Amino acid sequence: MHRVGFTTTIPLEVLIAAGRQPVDLNNIFITGGSSCRLVEEAELAGFPRNVCGWIKGIYAAIRESGLSEVVAVTEGDCSYTKALMEVLSLEGIRIVPFAYPHDRDAGSVRFEIEKLMRHFDVGWEEVNRAKERLDGIRRKIREIDRLTWQENLATGWENHYFQVSATDMNGDPDCFEAEVDRFLKDAAGRNPFQERIRLAYIGVPPIFPDIYSFLETLGARVVFNETQRQFAMPYDTSDMVEQYRSYTYPYDIFHRLADIIPETGRRKADAVIHYVQSFCFRQIEDMIIRKKLPLPILTLEGDKPGPLDERTKIRLEGFVEMLEDRDQREESSIQ
Amino acid sequence: MRIGIDLGSRKAKFALFRDNKIVRLADYDTITFYKRFGSLDGDDLSLDLHGSGLFGSEELSLAEVMVTGYGRNTLSLKGAHIVSEVRAHVAGAIFQTGLKNFTMLDMGGQDTKVALVKEGRLEDFVMNDKCAASSGRYLENMAAVLEVGLEELSSHWEEPVKLDATCGIFGESELIGQILRGHSTAALCAGVNQTLVKRVLPMLRRFPSKTIVLVGGVALNGALARLLELETGLPLVVPDHPQHNGAIGCATLKSRDRDK
Repeated sequence: MHRVGFTTTIPLEVLIAAGRQPVDLNNIFITGGSSCRLVEEAELAGFPRNVCGWIKGIYAAIRESGLSEVVAVTEGDCSYTKALMEVLSLEGIRIVPFAYPHDRDAGSVRFEIEKLMRHFDVGWEEVNRAKERLDGIRRKIREIDRLTWQENLATGWENHYFQVSATDMNGDPDCFEAEVDRFLKDAAGRNPFQERIRLAYIGVPPIFPDIYSFLETLGARVVFNETQRQFAMPYDTSDMVEQYRSYTYPYDIFHRLADIIPETGRRKADAVIHYVQSFCFRQIEDMIIRKKLPLPILTLEGDKPGPLDERTKIRLEGFVEMLEDRDQREESSIQ
Repeated sequence: MRIGIDLGSRKAKFALFRDNKIVRLADYDTITFYKRFGSLDGDDLSLDLHGSGLFGSEELSLAEVMVTGYGRNTLSLKGAHIVSEVRAHVAGAIFQTGLKNFTMLDMGGQDTKVALVKEGRLEDFVMNDKCAASSGRYLENMAAVLEVGLEELSSHWEEPVKLDATCGIFGESELIGQILRGHSTAALCAGVNQTLVKRVLPMLRRFPSKTIVLVGGVALNGALARLLELETGLPLVVPDHPQHNGAIGCATLKSRDRDK
């Protein structure tokens, strides 16, 4: 099967309808076991040190995987992607641009999806059939998310993993669905977690996935993964255009906050971890998030992939301790 | 009796307390201290406090030991309770100043922390990340370039020479350029102190309050304190033992269930 890579979430339905194997380049970069080496290779190729680690990882992952065609999200992600696309096209990779319109205009979203469909030579009938197939899996992933915050049966990492994998269904929807089914069966037999602190994780997925297990050793569990949940298309709609308009990640911060604020409330999050990538424009949005979100926020910056560094651990511990103190204060004031 | 230990990147600091009062403060160069008195016992760091000569055997047998600082995550210290740096420093600042509402600025060897304290409780904090150009180590480097002692560097705040390299190492060559232009040592020292103030101002701005409590080894730099007062327009309180603040805080804190 012909494999097609992409730089961030795109309408997966189109690739599935076209019989292509989808490859989310972020996922193969971060889960490949050699993510740090990939970043180094990109730097050796000439990518500056002060550029986002994800861009460098994606670049090297494409080179290593031998992919010849990549869908690049040119609007709705970052301008680094545009330059990455230029470098890749110079190196002979076929680049298919895809743009999320800044104003979320339905006509423009439809135009972009249809442009992608034309490129892969598929029609709405096949695409909608693919959507039905994918929605079946997405509903199950939504159940994993519900189990995380409502039943307390899934860890922060499990919640992260299944949702983030939904961008490409790990390249094989049938196989991935079987994995989801196995997990759901397993989780049903668990005893609920009883952490004192419930955290919301917002921002791009972490470049150090052990953040979840580390937080759990401190007695704090992530019950909301903002972007990962978005990747899994949490909106139950049969209209594909509407689905990719509701999807928050590629649009402005206020559209994202309109999702974050009610979700942190519904899930009873005590506090928020805002993860930002070094050198990412989204660091600026931290200012707005701090003004709009009525919860304690720890802003965490990550650069290179790998296990959590000591300095980040010091921050996380200090933050959890501070929340525990508040908790105890509130309890004693109630008594 | 209680012993507080703050394992910093440059210095290991110690505080001995009896009846909630300071009995003794001490410090050691971190590297020397680890080399001479540190060893590994499985995954645990074992510090030979007896051998260090810092405490008498009676004191060591009676005291509860509480530790914080850079070494704490790398290794767990055998037989000691562990607290986070932020919590230790806030406790130290409250103990030393008697204040309950303030913004704490802790400037250490590598770390800079700003914490908002309300009614004696930590409300929020921020730490420098990915770069330690606003730290004690930077001051040491710059003093070496200027061929002055830290004491001399710490005495100049007037007419600072403008320095604006992003990187603490490039800052050295920038400083050399300014030396060649003939600026006085006093103005160059003031310039170095000013760069530190500019670095921490955005962090301070995040947590406004009526008083700033400055702790950490850098608080011994009087010129920096003066510049901070000028830039913020706020009264600055430097406690008696700013460098030992984390160790003092440790010695005043109670252990918790999840401490090792």
